[in-house]
Amino acid sequence: MERWGKGILILAMAFLFAVSSFTVVSGQDTIKIGVIGPMKFVQGQGHWNGATMAAEEINAKGGIQVGAKKMKIELVQADSNEFLNVTDATTAMERLVTKDKVHFIVGGFRTEAVLPMQDIAMENKKIFIGVGAAHDELCNRVARDYKTYKYWFRGSPFNSTFLGRTSFVHLATVGAILKGSLNIPKVKVAIAAEKAEWTEPLIKGGETAIPAMGMEIAGIWRPSPVATDVTAELSAIQRSDAHLIFTIFSSSVGIPFARQAGELKIPAVQVGINVEAQKDGFWQATRGMGNYVATMNTYARGVESNELTKAFVDTYVKRFNETPTYTADTYSVIVNSLAPVIEQLGTLDPEKLIPVMETRVHKSCSGTVAYLKDAEGRHLHELRWGPGFLTALGVQWQDGELKGFWPNKWKPAPEAPEVTYKGMVPYKIPPWMIEKYKK
Amino acid sequence: MGIILYYLRKLLSVIKNEVLVLPSRVVVALFFLFLLLLPLFTEDPYLLRILTLTSIFAILAASWDLLSGFTGQMNFGHALFFGVGAYGAAMLNKYAGIPPWSTIPLGALGAVLAGLVIGIPCLRLRGTYLALTTLAFPIILMGIVFAFPDLTGGELGISGIARLARSRVANYYIAVVVMLGLCTIMWKITDSNTGIIFHAIREDELAVRASGINTTRYKLLAFSLSGFFAGISGGLYAHFMRIAGPSTLEVSMSFQVVIWAIFGGVATIYGPVGAVFVLFPLMEVLRFWQDYRILMFACVVLLILLYMPDGLFRWLRDKTEKECPRCKIRNVAMRHTCRICTAQLD
Repeated sequence: MERWGKGILILAMAFLFAVSSFTVVSGQDTIKIGVIGPMKFVQGQGHWNGATMAAEEINAKGGIQVGAKKMKIELVQADSNEFLNVTDATTAMERLVTKDKVHFIVGGFRTEAVLPMQDIAMENKKIFIGVGAAHDELCNRVARDYKTYKYWFRGSPFNSTFLGRTSFVHLATVGAILKGSLNIPKVKVAIAAEKAEWTEPLIKGGETAIPAMGMEIAGIWRPSPVATDVTAELSAIQRSDAHLIFTIFSSSVGIPFARQAGELKIPAVQVGINVEAQKDGFWQATRGMGNYVATMNTYARGVESNELTKAFVDTYVKRFNETPTYTADTYSVIVNSLAPVIEQLGTLDPEKLIPVMETRVHKSCSGTVAYLKDAEGRHLHELRWGPGFLTALGVQWQDGELKGFWPNKWKPAPEAPEVTYKGMVPYKIPPWMIEKYKK
Repeated sequence: MGIILYYLRKLLSVIKNEVLVLPSRVVVALFFLFLLLLPLFTEDPYLLRILTLTSIFAILAASWDLLSGFTGQMNFGHALFFGVGAYGAAMLNKYAGIPPWSTIPLGALGAVLAGLVIGIPCLRLRGTYLALTTLAFPIILMGIVFAFPDLTGGELGISGIARLARSRVANYYIAVVVMLGLCTIMWKITDSNTGIIFHAIREDELAVRASGINTTRYKLLAFSLSGFFAGISGGLYAHFMRIAGPSTLEVSMSFQVVIWAIFGGVATIYGPVGAVFVLFPLMEVLRFWQDYRILMFACVVLLILLYMPDGLFRWLRDKTEKECPRCKIRNVAMRHTCRICTAQLD
């Protein structure tokens, strides 16, 4: 009998524990912002770090003025675990919305997870500002069914079409530098794209855009996203006499590719997208062999897209000892996008906030934010790309430091004014390439 | 009125003589009642979401048990059936505009086809070889999904498909009623002559063949049935989540099913179902300690398997009930004599 009693006691305790974990007490005088992302990964850490900085900064000033009262920000962290389990991501979102009763949500990364997460937020009429997923479909839903999806906004980065366009601009820029500096009559481009579906449109785009830029395609190489040895691909690229390697890497292959290219002193420069090269640890991971590798990025130390960038990057570096990545744009989303609109209207009501948010043009730490409409004039809540708005950066590893080289006297159109961000440095060609081509 | 009273008396008699005599049956009856009556007490959308997903995965886990637990056809690629059911339902809904109540069974028929497609070449394989071969099939299908992105949505999956139902409570009831119904059917199958043959194939296939039974037919039947039930769960999942993506085919999905089944106890049907109802909500409960959530989950699973190698629910059943050595009828553990044949139990 005593044994049964103990069993019942343990069961009762477990039940109480379970009930308590399904119950959340919410604060009334705070603005609750849910930060959802893969918290065990750098992307989620970026989400949380950016939001933490934003909350600390706003709360240090007493909070956000909502009508007659000041309300502090309370962040609620939700680990979406979306890289490993999409179902987990949706339950995390449901918890944020229905248990934690957050007013706004920021974050999300993997599109396959963000789509159902978006549905949950929309069903509950919560403003969800995406910081991480770049797929166009997320915003196309707003145009197709505005009444349901109007609560979604893209916070960062701009969509994958614009990401592709930016990387081609970088390619053209570096191609022109090579042509001018090394007197190469026709620049040959090797496309090195990891074997993943997201790279397909970029490869297809490259096949059209590269010849249109007056360059020649030397070949296409598709290493595995998790390859640890790419010497075969690099040797083939070297034999193809390519001058430029257009990289399309988001996975770990970006490290061995850069390291081995450096070790073999392949006489071709790398430009495009290499997510690993955006991280501070890249230099160490490649043991310095990643020198001269260029990639698209959102932030770099010493580079200012506008007057807000420096303070953000410096504070972030000081606080977290690393350069912010684009998922840390949760900071800008809270400080520059949400807070001013809440103060302006004095309400947390999404129905009142949305009309202002979708038409408002404002500065964020990475440029000027404005939202696009589609060809039929329907709201997309999609970020505007281009000079004067958001452009991203072209960055290059130069002797252990990630330096910005683009936009630097960039003319988006022949009659357009030049665009240069503060802190830009000239693009550097590797010395072994100069040695080979400069007569 | 007389007929109603007759059936009522019969029901009470069944409850008294068949259900209340064994703790396991009482627990199952309470479990049915709890799930069916819960929305009368709470309509908490978070809780209902967890239990809806739990019910969907319970069908999946039980379907694995039907194939691998009962028939011994070790399937490490069960996500294939789930994914085919999910993609089938999503594509039929998205491109043909067929409503969920039709797309789910049609998607499940697709999974049956998948069951036959992998069942036929795998007939000659056993044990580890079969397990490793089946592991490859969802990976192959994922390759096909990525090869035809215009049709399958590629990495993004097929999104924006119709909801199961408009309200969360209705979604919950659909998932729970389907789960209770299908699991009962699976349990009845395992308890039937077919189930006995499944058992026998697992224990000694040669002896079954020597008895004149076409084991090939029964193994294909097991693959098809398991594929059908897993396909139903895939279809339910797709319409509940409103997306069918590559994550439904991931290797982790296949292994999760195996973990659930082994945790609960294989070759039981109720074991995997109970395991999902313990482990899936447990992951949510563990959100309070986010950093160590997966680690704690792993510790719980390892501890249970260390001390209860036959599975949690088998262990619990063996602690509360004992089998009569003479007539093989189960009795509550406190009894000293069998409730049917009065033989000594101790």
